[in-house]
Amino acid sequence: MLKKISINKISELAAALMDKGLLLAPVKEISGHNFAEIKDPKQVDLDFHNTIASPKSVFFPHKEDFIKYETGKPIDAASEVALNLPLTFLFGVRPCDVKSFSIMDIHFNASGITDPYWKQRREAAVIFGYAFDLEKSAHPEEFYQTLGIGAADPEGSDVFMVKKGGDLLLNSVTPKGEKLLGELKELNEGKAADKKYFDEYVKKGREHKTRSMCLEPEAVTRKLEDLFYNTDFWTRVSSVCISCGVCTFVCPTCYCFDICDDTLFGQGIRRRVWDACMFTDFTLEASGHNPRTHVYQRLRQKINHKYSYHVRKYGVISCVGCGRCTKYCPVNIDIYSIIEDAMKA
Amino acid sequence: MINKNPYIPAPVEITKIIDEVDTHDIKTFRLVFSNKDDEANFKYLPGQFAELSIYGKGESPIGIASSPTEPGYVEFTVMRMGAVVPGTVTSALHDLDEGAKIGIRGPLGNSWPIEFLEKKNIVVVGGGFAFTTLRSLIHYMLHKDNRKRFGDITVIYGARNPGLLLYKDELAAWEKRDDIKSIITVDKGNEAWQGREGFVPAVCKEVAPSPKNSVALICGPPAMIKFTLPVFFELGFSKENILTSLEMRMKCGIGKCGRCNVGYKYVCSDGPVFSLGELDELPRDF
Repeated sequence: MLKKISINKISELAAALMDKGLLLAPVKEISGHNFAEIKDPKQVDLDFHNTIASPKSVFFPHKEDFIKYETGKPIDAASEVALNLPLTFLFGVRPCDVKSFSIMDIHFNASGITDPYWKQRREAAVIFGYAFDLEKSAHPEEFYQTLGIGAADPEGSDVFMVKKGGDLLLNSVTPKGEKLLGELKELNEGKAADKKYFDEYVKKGREHKTRSMCLEPEAVTRKLEDLFYNTDFWTRVSSVCISCGVCTFVCPTCYCFDICDDTLFGQGIRRRVWDACMFTDFTLEASGHNPRTHVYQRLRQKINHKYSYHVRKYGVISCVGCGRCTKYCPVNIDIYSIIEDAMKA
Repeated sequence: MINKNPYIPAPVEITKIIDEVDTHDIKTFRLVFSNKDDEANFKYLPGQFAELSIYGKGESPIGIASSPTEPGYVEFTVMRMGAVVPGTVTSALHDLDEGAKIGIRGPLGNSWPIEFLEKKNIVVVGGGFAFTTLRSLIHYMLHKDNRKRFGDITVIYGARNPGLLLYKDELAAWEKRDDIKSIITVDKGNEAWQGREGFVPAVCKEVAPSPKNSVALICGPPAMIKFTLPVFFELGFSKENILTSLEMRMKCGIGKCGRCNVGYKYVCSDGPVFSLGELDELPRDF
């Protein structure tokens, strides 16, 4: 089902979605755009390239409360924190970020024990993917083409959106998306020419140039396994790393977390919070032993996790080439260059 | 798994605390489930672990020291940590008295591979504190319903001195049985010590268990492992027939939090039990 709406009237669409549930969409902040809960339909701003933070926090918030308790009270008195999620519209997600959700699904949902929080949050959401603007060049840090992701891939979205002049075309991808589009009276029917434009846009998106190299998952996995003990290589590529962990926090596929107890004035919460394999104490054991005391060991872990361990465990590279880790790294470490160097080493 | 939500602990009561060693920093806690359903859902095998949970302090992954053949309770032998890194949970646990309630999540991880061990001769080698899940396995194998499923059982267990041996009463009882060969050794004895003196690797060499149809399960401090493995290789044990249990820092215990990986394996959910053959496939990152 293809629908359309004038971009000038996007706030009307936003208002209709807000009537149905929670709307999360790109909002302009001082230093760029980020996904935020929309309070006023006029806040939605589709004039953006990509958000600073990845939208993973919608399904994997930086803190997720598990249990509330009072310190000193019996354990039986503690209560599980219920999620009570509203229907959530995640509006304007770039294809590479949409792809990250399916990679995270394998880890959180499809492998071993299901993570109840990720699963419930995913089920509560309708995803409106949004093609990159093909008239504009990809940003220099991006390399999603290397990972086989097109600039206008609809897969993984419930509704996929493409800009056509002053209009926004919305095509349903899943039954959930189709049902929703059918209910939104603010939208106009798309014409045959719109459908043709949409299909061609998706196709052209596959050729949209980002930094690109030929990267076969099995080959890079084997290469990184061979390189594991090459301390010279890892020391060189990590020589400027300050272990700040920014790369992991902006990354759409980093999922490491800590479980901690926060107590204040007798009230306690057991929760999970984002953590990062780049931190010194990430693997520090109670005995004092720490397998990754050196920064090169931690950067090696991060790169290997994404490009080798994840392939061995789940069959896919855990990177979507969004380039955020490179863009926001304070010391300009570029994961793409590291993989390029590794393949040549 | 006890709960539908794997992050929520179930309440248990500490019904018995045993002070195991002269230094008073290792205690065995006997835990009884407050809810019968939780107890029924906590189906475990020797080698598995659980997260012990104290609200306001946190959680610690601890190997299960009791055997599923002992219904009604689960036991954990816990060392009070804190000499190097604050052992918040273990210290809080050690400060509790019988009757206190804590939380438990589990059972977690794989187990000693019971089916693989069946019909084989079992050589258990333990050092110091790293004997807890091996004790679980020994209890399991010695149970009257299980003993005939396994061949000869040889236990070689050592500690630095007699006061540091765990489960002293049981060690004495095993020495009297004829269905288990038990060799207890200490690095250095004291005046009261009547038993054997000598390091575990040397004792293994002396005892020289036959590799024929045998599996060795070896847990202990790194130095003990380092010098014990060559002895077993020399005896002719293959890497597939030497098993150990790994430790890594853990949080979730269910393979989600990304903390305890060694290469592409998570120690919490793919392990903690690995054969040396399996470990050879993984990077030395632990």
